Amino acid sequence: MGFLQGSVTCTRFLAPGDPGEDFRERARERIPKYAFRRLPEDSDRERSVGWVNILDEFQSGFFGDEFFKEPYLALSLRVDTRSVPARALRQYCREAEEEVKAREDLEFLPTKKREEIRDAVRSRLLRRAIPRSGTYDMAWDLQRGLVLFGSANTRICDEFSEIFFNTFELRLTSLYPYALAYDVLQEQGTNPGLLDEIRPIGSPEEETT
Amino acid sequence: MSLSERVKQTEFLGREFLTWLWYQSETREGVFDLGDLGTVEVWFEGKMTLESGGEERGDRVTCSGSTRLREARFALTKGKQVMQAAVRLLKGNDEWAFSLDAAWLNLSSLKTPRVMQDAREDPDGLFYERMFLLEQPIEVVNALFARFVVLRVSPEWQSDELPALEEWIGEGA
Repeated sequence: MGFLQGSVTCTRFLAPGDPGEDFRERARERIPKYAFRRLPEDSDRERSVGWVNILDEFQSGFFGDEFFKEPYLALSLRVDTRSVPARALRQYCREAEEEVKAREDLEFLPTKKREEIRDAVRSRLLRRAIPRSGTYDMAWDLQRGLVLFGSANTRICDEFSEIFFNTFELRLTSLYPYALAYDVLQEQGTNPGLLDEIRPIGSPEEETT
Repeated sequence: MSLSERVKQTEFLGREFLTWLWYQSETREGVFDLGDLGTVEVWFEGKMTLESGGEERGDRVTCSGSTRLREARFALTKGKQVMQAAVRLLKGNDEWAFSLDAAWLNLSSLKTPRVMQDAREDPDGLFYERMFLLEQPIEVVNALFARFVVLRVSPEWQSDELPALEEWIGEGA
């Protein structure tokens, strides 16, 4: 489920402060460059990742400023994946190996030959596989630099960080308790270095001050 | 220090925060006055995961259902801390339910109040309404965490808050 309906899972990131004066113009140029493209039907490519409209996951053509929703820049990351079920791969490999053994009059196949057969069978089956599709929403508050991303999956978050960097040339920072605590103390004028002095409750080194 | 090392070394902050928040919720009948954000109610209910810290990490207990909270309280007396908890947040007439984790303070399976905008009539209106509803619980969690952090590095933590927290934990035995 995305940000617009149902339940939501969020990971928070920080984007560097002011993205610059020409940011909007660059975003208009670069978002279409990293827009989602469907996996070609005649290829064995396994994964395609790119931006789609947050209001319509099937729309990957960007013709205007539809991703600017002040103060947010909002997009969805679409990830299509093609895979071959392990059981089907085993069955087709076995059949292909038997064919080769019969044709070449062999009792056993060398490991290298079996690997070649496996790669060829996998590539053939991948071309027939229908991709699974997932979309993960992103809302970037341009004023506060806070980015909400609709997944907590490590691989998806890594892919998101990578395409975000490629698109906007900005490196995202993960938010986690220590980083949040550091900002809290800094904003309050308290020395954030105090965080490094505290020890977990119950630890032998727990502070006694 | 790499990010993952830093996260691991300081993750006790998130665990202590969730444990403290549960204690605060239980002892003040769920009510928190958060200044500009107004008054909210925060309740721990449903599923909760606890784990030992330090060298005993990995010894994990999962409790679910309101009656099982007693089991979770007992786990606290054995040195375990809250790793993930189902939280219910009430603000005015609105209610949110979500799972809060200690490692990243991520909100997952977040259910927001019902939206008023129609997706077909006004998709942008729906976007703004949902963003408002998504950001509200995040701001509340941030405010509660800020309150915890300021207290955690203050002298009052050792003199007042920690003894009271430990007493509450002891009552779960």
